[in-house]
Amino acid sequence: MAPWLGTLCRLVLAGVFLVAGGAKVGDLAESGRAVNAYQLMPYGVATVVGAALPFVEIVLGLLLLVGVATRLAAGVAATLLVVFVAGISSAWARGLRIECGCFGGGGQLAADASPTYGPEIARDLLFLVLAGFLLAYPRTRFSVDDMLAGSGER
Amino acid sequence: MSKRVQARNEAARLLREQEAAQRRRQRTLWTAAIAVAALVLAGIVGWGVYQNQHSGDYTTPKGAVANGAGLPVSDGPVTVDVYYDYMCPFCKQFEQSSASALDQWMSQGKVKLVLHPLGFLDRYSNGTQYSTRSAAAAACANDGGKLWEYSKALYDQQPKEGSNGLSDDQLIQIGGGVGLVDPSFATCVRDGTYHSWVGHANDEAAKRKINSTPTVFVNGQKIDPTVSALTSAVEAAGK
Repeated sequence: MAPWLGTLCRLVLAGVFLVAGGAKVGDLAESGRAVNAYQLMPYGVATVVGAALPFVEIVLGLLLLVGVATRLAAGVAATLLVVFVAGISSAWARGLRIECGCFGGGGQLAADASPTYGPEIARDLLFLVLAGFLLAYPRTRFSVDDMLAGSGER
Repeated sequence: MSKRVQARNEAARLLREQEAAQRRRQRTLWTAAIAVAALVLAGIVGWGVYQNQHSGDYTTPKGAVANGAGLPVSDGPVTVDVYYDYMCPFCKQFEQSSASALDQWMSQGKVKLVLHPLGFLDRYSNGTQYSTRSAAAAACANDGGKLWEYSKALYDQQPKEGSNGLSDDQLIQIGGGVGLVDPSFATCVRDGTYHSWVGHANDEAAKRKINSTPTVFVNGQKIDPTVSALTSAVEAAGK
């Protein structure tokens, strides 16, 4: 059972990271501003993080999609998600009025909108559970890892 | 089968298993190394692409403030900085509700109004980058001495978020309507003379921790972007 559930987790997470990276990759300057909106680092650093993150997310999504180095990919995904949750929580705690920028956008919240930190954190925690499952059971069906292992060595 | 043969088979089996385990470990190590390399490379590529898009070369519009990003349209003792995006509905609302007060203060020589057109909302124009194009066109209007008039005219015809925005031809035509008839204005808009300047203006705004539009400062103090907050801040500062 676990290998099939693992496949599901892997594909869902792959989709999440591919969509998140794909939504940001078209405007790297905007991505940098979204990171800057958290006010956790100087603007110069935020632009580096903002430019690198979408590409890292896309490659991570691809790794998960084909299922190569699954345990490592799940570990990286979990680390990123923990950082995102920490970032959003700290924005919430400091009373910033921003949009998470998770799936694009420059962190700008429309003047009449309220921040939605709670749902954003809940969503990331759900993804974190999926990554946690993969960390525990990295062997999944339809994966390159599985193919490389070959049938004789299961 | 003799005991000796059995022992030999057993030893061979153990050896095979050890070798298989060794191969598995090596394979895991290699795939992990390749995955890490791919992730690191992706980050570096991202940074490289951004650097490439963001060459740092830009033309500063005439009469810009010291950081090259703000465009003064009047002079006076009280400085009002407005950061905005021509695609942003609340910027239009702020501009239209405060324009008559601002016009009055400017005619009395009370206020130095500094406009900061930004390209924050490029995502909302189907890839035509209306925010950046309109902000760049505003810098062209600045050079023609009609930024304030042009701003009002652009807001009057503000496109809906999620539409293609106004075309360059329309941006030029609107300029003609406020007296920007010199062909240099049309050339400036069409050539995107100030496109990369808008990137600089975005950077300067972000450095000032501005992540939403409109953002308004009176003598360096951030205020709520409403005409009542603006009026009380300007009156307090003018005393």
